[in-house]
Order: sequence, then structure tokens, then C-alpha cells
Amino acid sequence: MANKSVWSDNRFWQRSATWVTGFASVLLIWLTFDTSVQIAMGNDEDLKNGVTKRVPGPTVINYKITYEMDAKRGHEVPVIGEKENFFGRDDWSEEEAGALLHLGKLGSQAKNCMDCHTLLGNGAYYAPDLTKAWLDPAWGPNGAMQALTAKETKEEAMAEFLQHPDRYPTHARMMPDLGITAKEAKGLVAFLKHMSSIDTNGFPRNFGHMQGAINGK
Amino acid sequence: MANNHLTSESKQLATWYFTFAAILFGAQLLFGLVAAIQYVMPGFLYEILDFSIARILHINALVVWMVFAMFGSVYWLLPDETGIETIGIKIGKLIYWVFVAAIVVVVLVYLLVQVGPADATTIWFITEGREYIEAPRWADWGIVVVALTFVANLFLTGIKGKQTGIVTVLMADMIAFAGLYLAGMFFTDNISVDQYWWWWVIHLWVEATWEVFVGAIAAYGLITMIGAHRKVVEMWLWIEVAMLFGSGILGLGHHYFWIGTPEYWWEIGALFSALEPLPLVAMFVHVLYDWGKTQGGEEARGSSASVIKNKPAFTWFVLNAFGNFLGAGIWGFFHTLPQVNLYTHGSQFTSAHGHLAFFGAYATILIGMMYIAVQGTNGIKIMKHTKASIWGVSMVTGGVVGMTVALTIAGYVQVLVSRAQMGATWAAYFDGQSGSWFTQAMDWRLILGAVTFSGFLLLAKDLLTTGKSPVHER
Amino acid sequence: MFEAFTDVVPSFFGWLNQGPLTLTIFLHTVIILPMIWIYFQEKKRLENEN
Ligand code: HEC
Ligand code: HEM
Ligand code: HEM
Ligand SMILES: [Fe+2]
Repeated sequence: MANKSVWSDNRFWQRSATWVTGFASVLLIWLTFDTSVQIAMGNDEDLKNGVTKRVPGPTVINYKITYEMDAKRGHEVPVIGEKENFFGRDDWSEEEAGALLHLGKLGSQAKNCMDCHTLLGNGAYYAPDLTKAWLDPAWGPNGAMQALTAKETKEEAMAEFLQHPDRYPTHARMMPDLGITAKEAKGLVAFLKHMSSIDTNGFPRNFGHMQGAINGK
Repeated sequence: MANNHLTSESKQLATWYFTFAAILFGAQLLFGLVAAIQYVMPGFLYEILDFSIARILHINALVVWMVFAMFGSVYWLLPDETGIETIGIKIGKLIYWVFVAAIVVVVLVYLLVQVGPADATTIWFITEGREYIEAPRWADWGIVVVALTFVANLFLTGIKGKQTGIVTVLMADMIAFAGLYLAGMFFTDNISVDQYWWWWVIHLWVEATWEVFVGAIAAYGLITMIGAHRKVVEMWLWIEVAMLFGSGILGLGHHYFWIGTPEYWWEIGALFSALEPLPLVAMFVHVLYDWGKTQGGEEARGSSASVIKNKPAFTWFVLNAFGNFLGAGIWGFFHTLPQVNLYTHGSQFTSAHGHLAFFGAYATILIGMMYIAVQGTNGIKIMKHTKASIWGVSMVTGGVVGMTVALTIAGYVQVLVSRAQMGATWAAYFDGQSGSWFTQAMDWRLILGAVTFSGFLLLAKDLLTTGKSPVHER
Repeated sequence: MFEAFTDVVPSFFGWLNQGPLTLTIFLHTVIILPMIWIYFQEKKRLENEN
């Protein structure tokens, strides 16, 4: 066998496969370190000093959040604005807010929200995406939900809905009663408000800016 | 079992794994039907067996039956490849029962308890609430023990027996497969961090380790079913490993566009995952080329006999070559660029891809392995199709392809109306769900789901009875 | 071809990502190039085997 080609040689491919796999894995681990730093949760100091974090600290619930077009980046980004009451207070401490978020995140898993809804776009497709649910016009002063639940604020309306979704149906496809307590509901609303402040690189696009513009049917 | 032709305990254990896998496959389809009915009739089992619970059972049964069938496949081929009986097979058999018992408990808790209070006990004993890996934490640890035993069986046997290329690839692949599960076993308040690691399990399973597993199984199948040359087959296998891992590992980035992760993932995710279909093309070419080549060689010798020693299994293997390429490669590529994914992310389009990919890439080849096991168990030399096997494969495949078409249309409507036109709000979501294109697609998905399930019944009947059928050559 | 840097947080990978494809072409190059070296090593081995 004088001129056996390297291209048909198993060892060449085996070594190449090992190299490519190893190197891709190393790159992924490196990228993971870089990303982990960038998506670590911020803290109260950051918020007070106006430092932008991809994932802000839990005390973001003390602030007003909007979702606005950023000309430089070419898509919408969450903007953290002035102070705003959340369940009657705008001075939730780092610990209190952290505990509330912890409860909410646990609740989101204990009740399997992700198996009907999408969170950050991942999950199930049976119910609306919750990434920016906090900013949904339906919960706002001009939306239907505050009146429907007879509550004065967005957070109270949401908490009421989460405890008794079967009492406030707006579509034939209803959310079931998942046994969510008043305390858990508060945590879940904090979780939803916090999620809406995460910088998702512009997903979802045009959120809440097109209501009523076009008849989709 | 009477008339059992198996002398290897490893192969016997494989048949146990295949049997439980087939039962779970049936359960998967039933709960899928419940969820599909709820799309059409929202009141169906409302607050009794809600969509979330039906869906958890649907996709957990899916993952678990595939893991069972994968373990079974390895226990099946190990004696053939290494030339020795699997080492530690007694513990392997014991662990099988532990695994089955754990699954039954987890399923009963899903069904009867469903949800719990927002605290750690729920995470430990009821559900972790993270799609695909909802299994409670205690079961996670059980799965780790089971996986370690399995990997130990494989490694000890691989080291002592003949270590072929196929066995080498499987050893490396299965340890990565088991290790990745650990990435899904912790709790964090930070949902971005949560989803970052969650995708390590989901994506690096299906688009890296499981795909390489399929490459190895296809190689084994080609050698045993049509007598392809080991040297050629194993060279292809190494090329596939290089291409699959080379694109699939960093292709993970296509899930990091919108979960809070940095902008550079747009480019890494887009470009590496855009290459992911290439190895799937290679696998497709490889299977069909080897088939043509061996059959051609036979004909050159003046014989018109088929080179295929197991017709139904080979049919499923060829469907795997098509299905993997179409479901993962084409349907995956459709939505893998961020410009597209911005609108399709988390829509029925994702579901269309998920169905055709899981079915095409994994269900097919694993069913093929079940047929190989039936052949071996019954000492059949040349296994032929029966009426039931032909109807089974046609209805299951036709049903899933049809569901995929329906879901693709539904996804198209959803993307246009809910996302592009209306801006993704609650109201926008329901505008997209209520148009007639969408609702009719959901009707069709249900009808074709019923076709799939009927096909499954025929398939199950065939797997149980074909071993005794007189059509085969013994 | 080169675009303004708009990442929220500057980083090495963000910096490599200077416009269409720069980051990926770079990464692919470092992944593929060493295969040439493996190629010549294996070629030599095959020749020595004869
Ligand atoms: C069984 C499926 C199911 C589960 C589980 C579920 N939901 Fe829902 N949810 C729905 C449906 C369906 C709607 C739409 C109800 C309507 O329009 O009448 C909805 C609506 C909502 C809304 C209002 C829509 C919006 O965009 O603001 C919020 C908020 C919400 N759910 C939060 C949650 C949270 C938080 C959880 C987990 C604790 C959860 N849901 C679990 C099915 C579910
Ligand atoms: C056999 C291999 C594959 C399987 C089994 C598979 C399966 C899946 C599943 C089930 C999902 C949905 C996950 C969820 O529930 O959120 C998904 C998402 C996705 N897949 Fe695949 N996939 C495979 C291969 C591929 C390939 C090769 C590509 C790209 C070329 C791809 C691109 C995507 C993308 C971009 C998403 C995200 C969709 C979204 O944003 O909602 N997949 N895949
Ligand atoms: C009887 C046939 C089937 C029916 C009626 C059915 C129905 C469903 C439904 C309703 C969902 C939920 C989707 C959503 O959240 O909107 C789903 C999800 C899913 N099913 Fe099926 N299914 C069937 C068969 C299969 C098969 C054969 C496979 C794969 C082998 C499969 C894999 C999946 C996957 C991976 C998901 C999650 C998709 C995602 O998150 O994107 N299903 N199915
Ligand atoms: Fe993926």
C-alpha cells in the first residue's frame, strides 16, 4: 500500500474529531465564564447609581420599568426610571426584595408556569409569553384587568388574578386555579416585574406598541 | 420467554429496556392527545388534568422512553461489538428495576399531586418545573446513580473486550451525556442563569451527545443489517463526530439570543448552528450510499437478493436518515438565525421543529433497534415486513409529518399576527390564536395525532407478534 | 463593514465581534487550522509505515 491517502485514514479523522470536540468545549467553557459575569444579578447600589446590568438586582421592584427603543442598539431595551410603589412601598430593602423574588421564582417552578407559558421565550405555547407581562397594556391604567379585578394598582390586580384566574376569564382558554396563596402571588408578581427588567436584546419586538393598529384576523 | 434465542444476559436486559420504552412511548402519545384536545376544546379536563400536567407527562415520557431505548440499544450491541458478556450485568439488571420504580413514582406524583407550595419541598418531591427536566430533585439523584451504573457497565466491558471505533465513540459520548445532566440539578433565583444552564442539558443532549449516539447506532446497524464494511463505516463515524461536535457544541448559542445573555451569542449561535445541518446531510448520504453500494456489489455478482437482513428495522433506519435531516436540519435551520428567531422564538413553529426533530432523529432509529432486538430474540435470519409493520410505520410517520405541517402553518400565522403585526402582548397572542388558519391547524394536528396513535397500536402489535410470524427466514 | 461597538458590557468576544462574521470566521479558523498539522503528521506516519 504505497499511496494510502490521509483522507481515508481513520486515525486522521479520529484525531481531528478529538481536537475539534476538545477545542469547541474549551471555547464554550471560556464563553460561559464571560457570560456568567455578565448575567450575574446586580444589586441595590447599581440601581441607585444608575449602573445598567443585564439582570438587575431584586430591588428593581422599587422602580418604574419601561421598554423603549434604543437608537444605538437598534432594538428596544428595558429602561429603569424613577421610583414607583410596589404593593404600597418603594423602599423594599435588598433582603426583602430578594426574599420576594426567591419566593416568586420558586413559585414559578412549583406551579409549572413554564408548561403553559413561555418565560424569556422558552417553555410552552398554550398561553402568552410572560417575559414582559409586567409591561402588558392589559394590566396598565388603560387596560381591562384593574377594573375587572376591582384593584387600584397593577401589582394588586396581577396578584388577584394569579390567585383566582378562573374568576377572571378573558378567553375561552382559561388559566386554572393553581392554589396560589396571597403571599405566593406577591412573590410571583415581583418575579414577573423583575423579569421584565432583564435586557433580552430586544425580544419581544415592538412589545405593546402596536395595540389595535392592525386587525389580525 | 419460550423459544428465547438469547444467550447473552446483556441482550436480555436490552429487551427489558425496549419493552418499558415502548410502553412509555404509548403513554407519551396519549398525553399528547390530551394536550392537543385542550387546544381545540379548552374546557377538556380543566382543573382536573390541566394542559401543563398533560404536557409534562407528554415530554417527560418522551425523554425517558428515549433514554430507556438508548440504554437498551447499548446493552444490545455491546456483546456483538466487544465479543464478551457485559461486565456487571447483574447490577445492571437490578438498577433497571430501580429506574422503572422511580419513573412510576414520579409519574404518579405528577398525576395525583401535580403542583405544590412555593418552597423547596416541592422542588425535591413534586416537580422542578423546568421544561423536560421537571423530575423532582430526589429523582435527579436516582437518575445519576442509574446513569453511573450504566456508564460503568459500558466502560468496564469496553476496556476488557474488543474496543471497536463504535464502542470508543459510545464510551466518550455516554459519559458526556450523563455528565451534562448535572447542569440541570440546581436552583437559582436568576432566571437568565437558570435558562443558561437548562439549555446545556437540553441542547447539548439533543444536538450533540444524542446525535453522536445516533451516528454510532447507525454505524452498528449498517454493519449488522446490510454487511457494510466496518472500516468505511467507522471512518464516516469519526467524520460525523468531528462535524457534529464541531457545530453542535457552540451551536448552543442559538438559545442565547434573548435570555439576558450578551450580544456576541447572536453571531456564535447563528453561524455554528447554521452548520449543524451539514453532518446530518453527511449521515443521510452515508446510509443511502452504503446501502446502494452493498446492494450494487451483490448485483454485480449476479444475485438479485436484497442485502437487507431486517426489512422493518432498515426501513426505520432509512426514515431516520431522512427525518434527522428534515426535522433537525431543515426545520432547525429555518429558525436558527436571530433575524428569524426574534419572531419565531417560542411559537408553534418551535413545536413543529421539536416534533419532527425528535421523531426523525431519535424515535425512528430507536424503533429500528427494537426490531433488531425482536429479530435476535427470535433467531430470525432474514426478517421481512408484515402488514402490521408496514401500516404501523406508514401511519406513525405520516401522522407525525402531518402534525408538523399543521404546526408549521399555525406557527406561520402566529409569527405574522401575534408577533410581527401585533407586538407580542397578551391581546396579540390571542389574536394570533383565534384566526381560522390557526384553529384549523389545531384541528388537523389533533386528527393527525390520532392517526399517529393508531399507527403506534399497530406497531406495538407487530413488535409483540412478528417474532412468531412464518413470513421470516429462520 | 466595521460597525460601532454597541454591546452593553465590553468583552473579549464582543470585541472580536466587529461586524458580520468576524467572530465566527476567527473561531472557525482556529478550530480548522490545527487539522492541517494533524494531516501532515498522519501523512508522515503513513509514509513511515511503508
Ligand atoms: C394550565 C396552564 C397554565 C399554567 C400552569 C399557568 N398559566 Fe398563566 N395563563 C394561562 C392561560 C390559558 C392564560 C390566558 C387566560 C385568559 O386570557 O383568559 C394565562 C394568563 C396568565 C397571565 C396574564 C397574561 C399576561 O400576558 O399578562 C399571567 C400574568 C399568567 N398567566 C401568569 C402565570 C404564572 C405566573 C403562572 C405560574 C405560577 C401561570 N400563569 C401558570 C394558562 C396557564
Ligand atoms: C435531533 C436534533 C434536534 C432536536 C431533537 C431538536 C429539538 C428541539 C426542541 C424540542 C426545541 C424546543 C425547545 C423548547 O421546548 O423550548 C428546539 C428548539 C430549537 N432548535 Fe432544535 N432540535 C434539533 C436540532 C436542531 C438543529 C440542527 C437546529 C439548527 C440548525 C435547531 C435549531 C433550533 C432552534 C433555533 C431552537 C429554538 C427555537 C425557539 O427559539 O423557540 N435544532 N429544538
Ligand atoms: C399523538 C401524537 C402527538 C400529539 C397529539 C402531540 C401533541 C403535543 C402538544 C399539544 C404539545 C404541546 C405544545 C405546546 O406547548 O403548545 C406537544 C409538545 C411536544 N411534543 Fe408532542 N404530540 C404528539 C406526538 C409527539 C411525538 C411522536 C414526539 C416526538 C417523538 C413529540 C414530541 C414533542 C416535543 C419535543 C414537545 C415539546 C415541543 C416544544 O416545546 O417546542 N410529540 N406535543
Ligand atoms: Fe439547539
